[in-house]
Amino acid sequence: MAKFEILARCPTTRARVSRLTLSHGETALPTFMPVATQAAIKGLTSQQVESLGISLILNNTYHLNLRPGVQILAQAGGAHKFQGWNKNLLTDSGGFQFVSLSKFAKITEEGKQTILVFWRNCNSHFGRRLILQPLHRRANDADSPEESISIQHAIGAGSFHSSTGFRDLEYPADIIMQLDDVVPSLTPDRARVEEAMERSVRWLDRCIAFHNASGKQTTQNLFAIVQGGLDHELRDRCLKQMVERSNQVAGFAVGGLSGGEEKDVFWRIVKQCAEKLPEEKPRYCMGVGFAEGNLSSLVQAVHSNTSTDLLVCVALGVDMADCVFPTRTARFGVALTRNGPLNLRLAKHATDFSPIEKDCPCPTCSQGTSRAMLHHIVTRETAAAHAVTIHNIVFQAQVMGGARDAIIAGTFPQYLKAFFAGYFADAGYPEWCVNALQSVGVDLLEGLDPSEVKIIPGSGAKWEYSTNKSKTK
Amino acid sequence: FNHVSPYKNMVGMSVKFQAQTTAFRPRSGSLLLNRPTSAIEIATPALLVTTSRGVVPHLTQAHASTLPCLQVPFETFLEHSPPVPTLHPGSHPLHSFLGFNPENQLLILTLRDPHDVRETPANTNNYVSAVTGRGIRRILSLRCQIYHSLLPPFSQKRVERSVSRSASWVSQILGPNRNVLVHMAGGVSIAARKAFSSNLIEKLHGREAEAISPHKSLDDGLVGYVFDLAPLRMEMDAVSTGDAPDLTTLLRASLDSMPSSKLRVINSVSSPHEILRLIRDVGVDIFDSKWAQDNAAFGVALDFVFPAPAFQTRQNLGHNLYRTDFAQDFSSLSSSYSPCPCPACRPVATSQSAIISHSTMDQFRTDGTPQPASRAYIHHLCLTHEMSAHSLLVLHNLAVMQAFLASVRTLLEHSDNFGRLVDDFHNAYHEGHEQISEARTMW
Ligand SMILES: [Zn+2]
Ligand SMILES: [Zn+2]
Repeated sequence: MAKFEILARCPTTRARVSRLTLSHGETALPTFMPVATQAAIKGLTSQQVESLGISLILNNTYHLNLRPGVQILAQAGGAHKFQGWNKNLLTDSGGFQFVSLSKFAKITEEGKQTILVFWRNCNSHFGRRLILQPLHRRANDADSPEESISIQHAIGAGSFHSSTGFRDLEYPADIIMQLDDVVPSLTPDRARVEEAMERSVRWLDRCIAFHNASGKQTTQNLFAIVQGGLDHELRDRCLKQMVERSNQVAGFAVGGLSGGEEKDVFWRIVKQCAEKLPEEKPRYCMGVGFAEGNLSSLVQAVHSNTSTDLLVCVALGVDMADCVFPTRTARFGVALTRNGPLNLRLAKHATDFSPIEKDCPCPTCSQGTSRAMLHHIVTRETAAAHAVTIHNIVFQAQVMGGARDAIIAGTFPQYLKAFFAGYFADAGYPEWCVNALQSVGVDLLEGLDPSEVKIIPGSGAKWEYSTNKSKTK
Repeated sequence: FNHVSPYKNMVGMSVKFQAQTTAFRPRSGSLLLNRPTSAIEIATPALLVTTSRGVVPHLTQAHASTLPCLQVPFETFLEHSPPVPTLHPGSHPLHSFLGFNPENQLLILTLRDPHDVRETPANTNNYVSAVTGRGIRRILSLRCQIYHSLLPPFSQKRVERSVSRSASWVSQILGPNRNVLVHMAGGVSIAARKAFSSNLIEKLHGREAEAISPHKSLDDGLVGYVFDLAPLRMEMDAVSTGDAPDLTTLLRASLDSMPSSKLRVINSVSSPHEILRLIRDVGVDIFDSKWAQDNAAFGVALDFVFPAPAFQTRQNLGHNLYRTDFAQDFSSLSSSYSPCPCPACRPVATSQSAIISHSTMDQFRTDGTPQPASRAYIHHLCLTHEMSAHSLLVLHNLAVMQAFLASVRTLLEHSDNFGRLVDDFHNAYHEGHEQISEARTMW
């Protein structure tokens, strides 16, 4: 099983610094994981991603099971070999995607009787629309907990029972997730949320049994996923049952969030889970700061503050989080900075020869690519998406790396204050962040003139609004 | 005359060839650009990489910075006035703005995209048309000193006008330290092509001579000649009853009376076969790589070598990776050109020191040889519309083209049976574009 060592604890908040050692090396926590949904990160080679200081990425089981399919992943020698990635890899269970696709999926105790759908994209890398299109019906094809784990074993290439025989492959996956029953976080039906939570616990037992029986538990690390919606009582019941199984799992995830719920509700659930999860296991908050909802990707992109959301989660005791934000927003020309997201499409950047961020160590900024150049190619050339993706990944990793150093130095509260001040100074502090950090002993507003500080209720999204009207002709 | 060296402080450019060349013999040589602090030498026949909006499509800057010779159409920068690169501070504004290295990357600037044959409003004596992201812009030819070839001037009158206008524009662009390449005008008319060439080498007198001093003729101020095949092909297709002269005849008509010591550049070449023929029959020195880059964009991995191996059956030039045949093909992209040194086929492990550190406790372990990208992997990326498919394929296809031309150079220098090897290549590989047209529809 994974080696998890806690190296430092913040004396004020619940943040901690740890080192997670998996089959493909060490990953320093807290960290964020870039998402390689289809086994690739937006135009970059694996070597390039590695050179950005990234040692843990996420693959989506649901997507990889549709394409290329487990058989091919197994033939390739596992997902690592398939995509040429030599560092750590986490595969999700595939449960989450069923939330978005639940119209097409009928969930049963056995698993999921599904009508498979796939994401059909327009042929352009830009202006791409996601259209759900029935691929083919596989009426009695159950996506059971066992099958999910089996697929993840194969994706990780622990082994795969194929028609060509049982193959033991060299590189095992690093972290796999239990199959959970996910309901949209805003589901009003408490009975359904309760059923899903209880089922997730039962499915955890089946996942553990299957995983242990497969003999893969020495190389692949199974994480449990806490469910229970936005209901504290259900979360507590789930936590209690799952923590009882603590010695059977390598870590815990907080699932069922980021479904469009209020941020004020979101952080309270995260805090509750982080507090009750065992100290000696890593805690993974799934899909931070980016709601997979009905909103268009661009609207989501511009209304998320993943960097600050992640820091709040860290302060609440979260060790790892995945987010598609840095890579997805890059496509729309949104660059992350310490002063908030930068919309490179705005005309004001057209003649600005400064980099996205001065002193940023990423290849885009350090090689002198200017905002003006990015403005010229953004949304027109994929190279713009690559350049901004590179910056955004490094930016996000720097924010988390800075947090690690600050926690070790015992200066994490100051780090939070400085970062939030830079990010929200002009736009105003989101109220939920102030409240969340207050709850772990950090007063973001301390020492600030109350008459000068703006507090923004709700999500407090900060965004450079882009309107065509403001563009000069 | 659509090509101007993009440097504020122009510097000398020279071409030298291995042997004394006579008119149309195949030749190898080198293009030397001297700058005050550095020199760039490019062995010819060489590859000219195509850019779009100033970037090599699908490549990150780190990968694009390894390409020695690139062509930059300027028209999209005309969306802003003045064009943004001209505002960039520093001595190499275009290089700096686009992220290329002036020490080892040579840029050829054109006004129009030479591959773009969309109809634009007719040029006048003083204005040329350019296509920008915000519509057509008319450029005062005197001020911007850049000019792109005219679109097919089908009528006799238009041909005459285009020839005389082009010559007059050449005189306006020449300067003591400018490296100017001229587009050879005249379309499908052999007479018009010859007329344009004689305009270039004609000794000028009086005010005309003063305008181009110290040069005696327009040609004195030129480093080479450019042929844009895209508009020329359109014109050839439009000529009825198939009585248009063939490409070789047209190119030779332009070059016949010109000194053989100058650079010959081709845009919109359509296959390696055509490259070989143009080297063999016309002595061309530089070829654009649009064809190979387009193949990458459509999911085709090139797979050919020169000299061609002895195959049992004639081979395709590449593999359309959209085809389901590749779903379980874990071999690397090239079978004939192996090992291909591109970052897709032979990724190099990231050195520990090159990894960006994010905190004091970050520890990096670099281990093992990275796995080459397999055909199955890129097939998967193609089907899922991942940008990485095209990044990897552009890297690979450009490497195949570079290796192809490197091999051509070696054989030109060390072998006297180039002509036979060209024939062998034609027998070994299909010149047709089934793979690319099929990939285009699958894409
Ligand atoms: Zn940067
Ligand atoms: Zn290659």
